[in-house]
Amino acid sequence: MTDESTTIERDLGAVELALGTGAATHADPVARELQELALELRADAPQAEPRFAEGLRARVEAGFPRAPGSARGRAEAAGARQQAALERLAARAARGPDGLGRRLLRPIAGVGLPLLLIVVVVFAAGGPPGGGGGGGGDDNASSAAGGVTRGGSGGGSSGGGAEAGAGDNAIVAPAQPLPSGRGFAPGQRDRKIERSFSLELDVPLDDMARVADQVTAVTNRHGGFVLNSSVNSGKDGGGGDFSLRIPTDRLRPALRDLAELAPVIRQSQEGRDVTREHVTAKDRLQAARAERRSLLRRLEQAATDEEAESIRRRLDLVAGEISGLRGQLRDLRLRTDYAVVTVSLLVADDHDDNRGGVGGSFDDAMNDAGGLLVGFAGVLIRVLALALPLGLIALAAWLGTRVVRRRRRESALA
Amino acid sequence: MNEALAERMPVVTGTDTETFAALYERTFPRVYAYVASLLRDRAAAEDVTAQAFERAYRRRTSYRARRGTPEAWLFGIARNAALDELRRRKRRARLESDPEDTGALGADDHAELALRREAVRAAMGALEGRERDLLALKFSAGLSNSEIATVLGLSETAAGTRLHRTLTKLRKACND
Repeated sequence: MTDESTTIERDLGAVELALGTGAATHADPVARELQELALELRADAPQAEPRFAEGLRARVEAGFPRAPGSARGRAEAAGARQQAALERLAARAARGPDGLGRRLLRPIAGVGLPLLLIVVVVFAAGGPPGGGGGGGGDDNASSAAGGVTRGGSGGGSSGGGAEAGAGDNAIVAPAQPLPSGRGFAPGQRDRKIERSFSLELDVPLDDMARVADQVTAVTNRHGGFVLNSSVNSGKDGGGGDFSLRIPTDRLRPALRDLAELAPVIRQSQEGRDVTREHVTAKDRLQAARAERRSLLRRLEQAATDEEAESIRRRLDLVAGEISGLRGQLRDLRLRTDYAVVTVSLLVADDHDDNRGGVGGSFDDAMNDAGGLLVGFAGVLIRVLALALPLGLIALAAWLGTRVVRRRRRESALA
Repeated sequence: MNEALAERMPVVTGTDTETFAALYERTFPRVYAYVASLLRDRAAAEDVTAQAFERAYRRRTSYRARRGTPEAWLFGIARNAALDELRRRKRRARLESDPEDTGALGADDHAELALRREAVRAAMGALEGRERDLLALKFSAGLSNSEIATVLGLSETAAGTRLHRTLTKLRKACND
């Protein structure tokens, strides 16, 4: 400790002692002089007139009433009502004797209300994350949509493009708009598109057999056929898988009917443009046929046995090529005229029909909760992206205002 | 004090249960003394004192015990009100011409005491505004160094050092 700080400590201690005892008795003359000065300053403190003190006391006891009818009086009355309401709320929220809830309520309300406002603005401006419709497919397109949706509920899917059915029996349309009869490339004629769809249906175990039969019936009704199927409706766990071929011109109504059989858990679609493959095969077939015709003409005009034999061998090769190309074209036609539809029947864990579309299993609940959390986090990030800079600007402005006000006030002492 | 009214007044302090009226009773003379020391005008001191208590009453729920004692909070409000008044007066260019009116000595005051008091007042007049403010907070308001530090936004050590420097300056001015 330096000499100066020792002196300061001694002198300040002497001053405090003098103020406490009312006497200047320090041994050091300088400290004693400071004690006397301190006593003098205290004794010289101005005193209020009793009349003023009484008047002010009366105002304090009356709670500083404002003139009735004045603007401030009315504002104060309104403020008092709000204050009383807030205090009642805080008292309700307060759990401890120190009124912790009361202290917490206001900052929470102060932060929460602007945040709520920002959330509303964000939602109003851009919608929740994950919104927005999906577009149509390209030459090679695929899509998937999640979520259990009951047939007949008429709920839309997140990908947009929901197609309304008739009345209450409206079905859930696939997430992506179904391709039209002309394929995935609108505007281009004679496109050859190979399509495949996948549907997962949520089926109660005791309803498995009926739904499986219905899948086959729907397929037959629309002129398709079941390529293979397997169904298990045993009590130890059931399920079913169907691989269907459905004419593309009947695809829409067939999918609609399939979706009506049970709630759709998931669906996806894929398309592949095989036009080039088709055209190439067709051209090669025409060329092969032309060559065969030419060879046949040459065979008629062959002069020697050797030449005729050579032409026949060549004709055999061309016939094989023509046969292969015909098969290739037949296969392509089959793939483009019939869509591959895979239907999976999954056992619903909860047999309660009043679930209202909410997944019943623990996994479903966890998935839903995860989805909700991700959505909430997305909103929160957007809100923070807006609120953080605004908050920082507001904080800087508030601090700046405080400093300026303090300096302006202090300038009165300069 | 009217019990019903006292009941209606919310608690001011965070540590003890104290009504605003009790705080008023405890601090009124010191608040007035501080404001009057700063303004050196009895009428203005009364106005500003009343204004300070009214402001404190209306903002009584904003008091937080962790930020300091109720005295430090109240004197902070009183100081702001007094400084606002000084600024208003400065704008009216009357500050320098305002007569000193903090009360005269009684007739029975000893002549030597009166002379001494006059010397101290004259020396106080030679101090800067901030220094007079500091002395008023200490000796008129009767605040502890820690409370002064809270009011002025300083550390306690800085407040003590500043107080010592000001007292030493005043002592020298009195002896000159």
